[in-house]
Amino acid sequence: MSAYEQLIKSGNKFFLVLEDLTNKIMTSKYNPLYYHGALPQFYLWVLFLSGLLLFAYYIPTVDNAYLSKGIINAWTSVEYINDKIPFGAVVRGIHRYAGDAMVITILLHAIRVWFTDRYRQYRWLQWFSGIVLFVMVLFIGQTGYYLVWDERSLALTRMTVYALEGVPLIGPGLKSWFLNGDTISNYTMSNYLFIHIGLSFSLLFGLWIHYVRMTRPVMTPPPAINYVLMALVLVFVFMFPITSGKMATLNGTPPTGFEMDWFFLAPYALMNVVPSVLVYWLIVVGITVGLCLLPMPWAFLIKEPPVEAAEVVLTKCVGCNLCYLDCPYQAIEMVPAPANSRFKLLATVMPYRCSGCGVCVGACAFDAIDLPDLPDANVLAQVKQIMEAK
Amino acid sequence: MANENNKVITLMCERSADVNDLLDADGKIKSVDGLHAVKLPCSGMVQPIMIETALKQGAAGVIVCGCQIGDCYYREGNKMIRERLLGERVPTLKKATDRRRILALWLSRPQKERFIAEAGEFVKFVQGLPAPEPAAAPAAKPAPAAAKPAADAGPKTEAAKKAEATPEKKEPAAVVVDADGKVDSTKTVKPASEDSNDKDPKIEVEVAPIPEGRGPLEESSGDK
Repeated sequence: MSAYEQLIKSGNKFFLVLEDLTNKIMTSKYNPLYYHGALPQFYLWVLFLSGLLLFAYYIPTVDNAYLSKGIINAWTSVEYINDKIPFGAVVRGIHRYAGDAMVITILLHAIRVWFTDRYRQYRWLQWFSGIVLFVMVLFIGQTGYYLVWDERSLALTRMTVYALEGVPLIGPGLKSWFLNGDTISNYTMSNYLFIHIGLSFSLLFGLWIHYVRMTRPVMTPPPAINYVLMALVLVFVFMFPITSGKMATLNGTPPTGFEMDWFFLAPYALMNVVPSVLVYWLIVVGITVGLCLLPMPWAFLIKEPPVEAAEVVLTKCVGCNLCYLDCPYQAIEMVPAPANSRFKLLATVMPYRCSGCGVCVGACAFDAIDLPDLPDANVLAQVKQIMEAK
Repeated sequence: MANENNKVITLMCERSADVNDLLDADGKIKSVDGLHAVKLPCSGMVQPIMIETALKQGAAGVIVCGCQIGDCYYREGNKMIRERLLGERVPTLKKATDRRRILALWLSRPQKERFIAEAGEFVKFVQGLPAPEPAAAPAAKPAPAAAKPAADAGPKTEAAKKAEATPEKKEPAAVVVDADGKVDSTKTVKPASEDSNDKDPKIEVEVAPIPEGRGPLEESSGDK
């Protein structure tokens, strides 16, 4: 057994024991570990809603483009939200801490899926889209930090520009896309806001890919869990209120350091320690691509035969839809039956989606679908054999 | 008959309770007399007709063993068979099937001891039942008492309602389940501990004459 297999195995055991424990405390129905995928989804809705409220008062400018009522730029508009708008600080805090919580829950989700070996074969698309979604979430979170437009935002902007410029060939193009021009200007801020919000909505598209091969994806935790998730965020909101740093000044002395947020800004810490931009990008892209490729067949690192997809017995299928409805991976498609058939529909299996779990066998009342590995006739034969043995 | 009647067949998910080291080549589980296992990739593969066939062939009882509810490697297999046993999802068990002889256990891989304990108890119970006879006349009569609490016990009441809809078959047909999917007949089952249902993904049901006034269905407190 390879070291990797050993790791997965012990990880699996860890989760089984942990879940047994949480089941005892919270019952299986309210065990958050059984809703690991739905937790970040819940925080996403929280972020959408709180973000919408912030958007109402946020002004994406660097200087006094819309000089009115003393709100001169992004920083002062954030201060205005914080100090003047009723519950503005709370909404802002929720937006920040829900983002942090989303990263934590995504990591929990990914680690559980990985350790319980539920990321490969017929699930590769979910893993792949999950990694892409996670990278998107991190980037969206970072753009959120630019929007505040305090000294940290400025430092982050300059570091990002530096990193983007260092990309071979397309570097200058990336820089002017990111800044929406050659220098930091009002256009830069509106670009940040566009990235922050636009990319957030494209998360929904990514999530569609993430869910598309799953029947009845678990997207919503029970309300009781939602209340707890929200309460956790509120505890942080009130115990550690969010404040901005000093307003960014383009011509002043450049900031030399900033308060670190390890959930979103970890790549900047990496940027700080690597010798060159190229190395930084190699590491970042390498990690991302490596994670994306983790479920690929040659990277399985676990030797086991490929999945034997279920097979429909064409002469028996009556087109009743039961297997189609019950299949957890949308691997069964109902197609029009051939002209000479007595029935209207015929089930067909998409082998690349099939997990070989046999739920369709259990769903079929007509013995019309079978696993090549273990037909139900074999099960019955085994039962018979046991009954007939002495 | 007596010989055959001693055997209990476990249709078990190969990812649930790990009994491999107790299993001999013929699928016999060594530590419990009369307990046999047939392994399936997922408990979702169990067809109700498999259970009926096993009973027809003279098995004293059938245990369906899947992973903890909420944690199926294949996402939904254990929920599917659970719903099928409860009569909430087609195909279901035939009405005449003796529910007393069916036990569902939801156990994770490390819970071998638990499996042995529960299965052992169940084996003892079914071996003590009179020889299987289809539609055996109900001997004891606490069934109405059991069916009544069912009515206010949430979604699981379907089974009970169904039972009431078929009055002539009322007692034998009432599928009784606790919140975690134990399926058994009204007459002889009582949950071991009142709070076991939701606390634990697996069904902690002890088989014994039902106490008056409360039925197993009362268990389903956790359901909305």
